[in-house]
Amino acid sequence: MINVIQKALYTRSIKSTNMARQESRAAYLFLIPAFLGLAFITYLPLASVFGLSLFKWNALTPPVFNGFNNYISLFTKDPYFLDSIKATVYFSVIAVVGSLVYSLAVAMLLNRRIPARGFWRAVFYVPYVLPGAAVYMGWSFLYETNFGLFNYVLSQLGIHKVLFLSDSSNVVPSLALISVWLSGNLIVIFLAGLQNVPRVYMEAAEIDGANAWHRFIHVTLPCMSPIILYNILMSLVTNMQIVVPALTLTNGGPGNSSMFMTYLMYRYAFQSNQLGYACAISFVFFVLIAIFTIILFATSKTWTFYEGGDDRK
Amino acid sequence: MERTRKILVILLCALMILGVAGCGATGTQGGAPSQSTASSQEATPASTQEATPAQSSGEKVNITYACWGTIEENKAVQDALDKFNASQDKTKVELKLIPWEGYVASLNTMAAANNLPDTANMQEPMVMDWVKQGMLADISDMYAGSDSKPLDCITYKADGKPVAYGVAAETVVMYYNKSMFDKAGVAYPPSTLDKAWTWDEFVANAKKLTLDKNGKHPDEAGFDAQNITQYGCLVENLAWQLEWPILSNGGGFYSADGSKVTIGDPAATEAIQKVADLYLKDHVAPLSIGSTDDGVQRGLIAGTVAMTTNGTWNVGTCLNTAKEQGLNYGIAVLPKMKQSATLATAGTNVVFNQSKHQKEAIEWIKWYANIDNGWPLISAGIWPPIFENYYTDETLTHKWLDNPNFPPYADYKAAAVDPMLDKNYVHSASWFYVNHAADFNNLLTSILGDVWSGKATAQDVITKNLDKFNAIFNGTAN
Amino acid sequence: MNNIRSKTRNKQIVDILSLTAIVILAFVALLPIWWIFRSSLMSNAEIYKFPPPFFPQNWRFSNYGKALEYFKFWQYLKNTTIIIVPSVIAGTLTATLCGYSFARLRFRGKKFIFSLCVGSMFLPSMVTLIPLYTMWTRGLGLGNTYWPLVLPYFCGGGAFSIFLLRQFIMSVPRELDEAAKIDGAGYMRILVQIIVPAIRPAMIVVALILFIGLWNDLLQQMVYINKPEKYTIAVGLTIFRGAYKSDWSNLMAATCMTFAPGVILYLIGQKYFIEGIVMTGMKN
Repeated sequence: MINVIQKALYTRSIKSTNMARQESRAAYLFLIPAFLGLAFITYLPLASVFGLSLFKWNALTPPVFNGFNNYISLFTKDPYFLDSIKATVYFSVIAVVGSLVYSLAVAMLLNRRIPARGFWRAVFYVPYVLPGAAVYMGWSFLYETNFGLFNYVLSQLGIHKVLFLSDSSNVVPSLALISVWLSGNLIVIFLAGLQNVPRVYMEAAEIDGANAWHRFIHVTLPCMSPIILYNILMSLVTNMQIVVPALTLTNGGPGNSSMFMTYLMYRYAFQSNQLGYACAISFVFFVLIAIFTIILFATSKTWTFYEGGDDRK
Repeated sequence: MERTRKILVILLCALMILGVAGCGATGTQGGAPSQSTASSQEATPASTQEATPAQSSGEKVNITYACWGTIEENKAVQDALDKFNASQDKTKVELKLIPWEGYVASLNTMAAANNLPDTANMQEPMVMDWVKQGMLADISDMYAGSDSKPLDCITYKADGKPVAYGVAAETVVMYYNKSMFDKAGVAYPPSTLDKAWTWDEFVANAKKLTLDKNGKHPDEAGFDAQNITQYGCLVENLAWQLEWPILSNGGGFYSADGSKVTIGDPAATEAIQKVADLYLKDHVAPLSIGSTDDGVQRGLIAGTVAMTTNGTWNVGTCLNTAKEQGLNYGIAVLPKMKQSATLATAGTNVVFNQSKHQKEAIEWIKWYANIDNGWPLISAGIWPPIFENYYTDETLTHKWLDNPNFPPYADYKAAAVDPMLDKNYVHSASWFYVNHAADFNNLLTSILGDVWSGKATAQDVITKNLDKFNAIFNGTAN
Repeated sequence: MNNIRSKTRNKQIVDILSLTAIVILAFVALLPIWWIFRSSLMSNAEIYKFPPPFFPQNWRFSNYGKALEYFKFWQYLKNTTIIIVPSVIAGTLTATLCGYSFARLRFRGKKFIFSLCVGSMFLPSMVTLIPLYTMWTRGLGLGNTYWPLVLPYFCGGGAFSIFLLRQFIMSVPRELDEAAKIDGAGYMRILVQIIVPAIRPAMIVVALILFIGLWNDLLQQMVYINKPEKYTIAVGLTIFRGAYKSDWSNLMAATCMTFAPGVILYLIGQKYFIEGIVMTGMKN
């Protein structure tokens, strides 16, 4: 109680002193890089993307004002756009859920008393440091219908060959699997989080007679919830921007099943030379990600639990 | 205490030095305007590179030529460039390699930034659209005064008038693995047009060449379609190459004069379905979703397919090397459905209107178009010559084909030389005379995805999307 | 008594099962990498053999030599390093500066600017590609240089890095700051002498994240780099694929070469990275 009053008095007195101004000045100075970046790399270009999306522009002739027609065309006439939203969302959901389950499971296994834990951790982390284009190329070889490793194993087990990348219903799960394989960085973060679940809680729960499953649900998960939130966020942002497999492997096919939004935008901008239209796609994509993020943050208040109290400074 | 501060300062200095070093290493020449075409690295302190065409100071003009290609192709192009550079003092041409996959995108990006090379080998789907937008300098009189006309089938035409010429006269042919045929005891496919196989004969022969892991053929009892070790054929189903079966069946992507979209006609959908059925029903072909054109590499050269259809450029780009490594291949005419048909295509060398050295650039292109100068690519088997007299005059044909890079003279002549003069057989690919060909082909690739895997029929998907095809054709798509 | 013993027993059994599961999973996780490696050592004919062999017959390291003829790996590596080193250093340093401001300093508009910052985390680079490309090339004339790839990292290294460092700095107890302030230290001094040593592992984490991001950024590199001498590893590999199409053995050899630097760097830096994560975990 007294602390609060003291703090309040202290803050008020600070505000009007020279110190405050000095502090502000230092802050603005240090933040110059951020200011430049936010202005010229982020927000001004974002505004111009929206602005451009209102024009018809093929980069070779001056832009022609088109109002919202680009957006209307996108949602009504375009043969790819609606499928592309579906593909992107479908892929992101599977990839994010898959990555989280996989990394959490592996982290929990690694958390036990096993020898050479550092070595195993390194093994699972390695895919993350490999260049994406190379990874997809390598996996495409594994997925090959007639001579790939997976189909060979399946055929030995007597199962029908699976058309991994050639069948429109299998492409997205196959690509999502690669994304899950690549999510080694999440394992490390989860592991650290697991090791920070206070032993006090775990022991208390044990004494109370909670079995492993209960301990997991009621102690581990809540304590890890901020980290889970962070990982979901990282995974979501990464996976929604997926473009490399479409660029190097599938070209959006078969059908439109891998026509991810980023790839579609790239095609319209750089292959069909319709820059205004492509900017419209970018902007819709931006709005989509924003919606997902807001929903995530809004709902997170109900299920995340901060050990050290709310850090609202 | 002071030490950490010193370290930080040193770090910052190192950072700045690195930054400056990075700038130096990337070799930007003094100042902004150098984003233009004069891109030679070893140019001297040269803001005079910006010289306009009115430059008679004897200083060399540097121009760039962009193209794509495999290693063999690039070597041959570099040879031609070196020859040109050595033959005169005024102009130096520099090669700019851009991968085929990103070629269209790269050129578009450069156009938007006013950063195009002076000249380029342009991919087929782009040409007509760029002509329409006025991006290309007019070089239609390129061959005026030469002793032969370019073939009609590789001439780009707008309103019936030529606007650009292909750099080669590529057609689609069939290649086959002689060793596999010998082993199966099957007669080679015919290389002369009048003996071309019908589609049914083609499928029947393919069946004799298809083996599962127990050595059985598709029409035998106990054939295991899940474990095929050798396929009889692979018809390349990249969208533009699909037109030859359609033409062979009496139809086309468009009507012959390019005024209507005819891909929804039964002739077209039937033909596409027949190609798909090679995998789905006949079990003689591996699954192919039509997104790449490396059928020769992954089929014939890999030793998993006995016959494949693809372009004549493969002789030089990959089959020759394969031959040296032991592949015994032959060349034949395509099978026919109702009539024999093939497609002719070629990229074209263009000069961009954005170029600051148009005069020199046009001279370079004209020089390159001269048959003797482009000879390295021709003799490598990558670019069949475009001049009529090489197809009518046997001495010239011999000059071209008597060369270890090619399959036996008689076969190649019968399959790829003689038919070129038959206007009923050779059809220009659609991008020679219609606009928006790229978007049309992209849509086709996209909707046919489910047809190849058997989840939908060609007729269904095409009929459902016919209005979209028409919108693209009419330019009202978006 | 019995209860405790059987509990420990149970724990041991679960530990052993976990180890088994880990071994199996690790094997599965490494399988793709092994497959790529073994393919890079086989001839093309061998690759297409059915059933596919697990080990190559003769270990054809000559494939690598052949791939190097066209895939100029060392040159690409040099180019990639030229881009990555300044970017990572600049990004980490500026992110520290900005993170420190958000974590410690009070100033007007802090909440607003910070939310702008956080908002920009979710802006995929693709969205702003077209206007940025026009700005760099038409506007500033920096087409075909590395500047468009490097300069953005001087602006804080991305909102993610700033955010991460802010979180870490916030976990450093303020008492140390206050003590130094009383001793008369300026903000820069506090930053350098107190904060930086405390969050050093976090800075390394940020550097690693930036490194991986740049390493993988095929799209931006393809857009801004047009000359063969300037190709980075990612671009070089894509072109190589275009030239070699289905020549799998050479392609896999090139792919393996591109794997190597990342793996080596990780093995060296792993200690710091793991330490950093664990330490921050403790701090929380």
